[in-house]
Amino acid sequence: MLKSDLVNILVAKKNVTQKQAEAVVEVIFGSMKDALVRGENIEIRGLGAFHVKHYGAYQGRNPKTGEPIPVKAKRGLLFRAGKELKDRVNKPGPDGKVPPLSPSQS
Amino acid sequence: MTKADIIESVYERVGFSKKESAELVELVFDTLKETLERGDKVKVSGFGNFQPRYKKSRPGRNPQSGQPIEITARRVVKFVPSQVLKADLNDGFLFENDGPTAEDDNDADTGDDDDDDDE
Repeated sequence: MLKSDLVNILVAKKNVTQKQAEAVVEVIFGSMKDALVRGENIEIRGLGAFHVKHYGAYQGRNPKTGEPIPVKAKRGLLFRAGKELKDRVNKPGPDGKVPPLSPSQS
Repeated sequence: MTKADIIESVYERVGFSKKESAELVELVFDTLKETLERGDKVKVSGFGNFQPRYKKSRPGRNPQSGQPIEITARRVVKFVPSQVLKADLNDGFLFENDGPTAEDDNDADTGDDDDDDDE
């Protein structure tokens, strides 16, 4: 599923034009991105939480030469699936086991 | 930021009513969850990919008692932020720091953010 598929679903299920649907999808992910760039965390009940993790600067080394190099502080992004998403994705089949993904899905 | 803030952004910037904005935002997140539930991935260019992963069963331990137990096979969701998001996350941040400037930061390869890397 791509962003364009999301747009098509909005058009099919709601009374919106293609343009409007595109704007909605852009604003949703755009505003989420803006929040993360501001350093804010995001929590969407049922879906999950995005957490901006700060990594401090440290003195590293070039593993080949042993030469010390400063490693800059940086930020990474962690995602933790919410309970609803976790449970829905990890649903056991009739045999009580969770089926592996088919090759086309992985 | 919560869902209410996202709905507010849609309301302000796209021009739907509060109620319509809420419904549209819900539909987007519901579709995301449904797709992952089916085992398919969701790629949002410029933001990141949500991919279901299958984890084989493996031995584990009860951390409290130390007793060995089997961790059952399961499906989990992995989120891989796009290169663009990763770079933007660090751009503003580097400017705020007195450390090395953003100019010598060349690890932000803003190339393909749609990569299909597997594990």
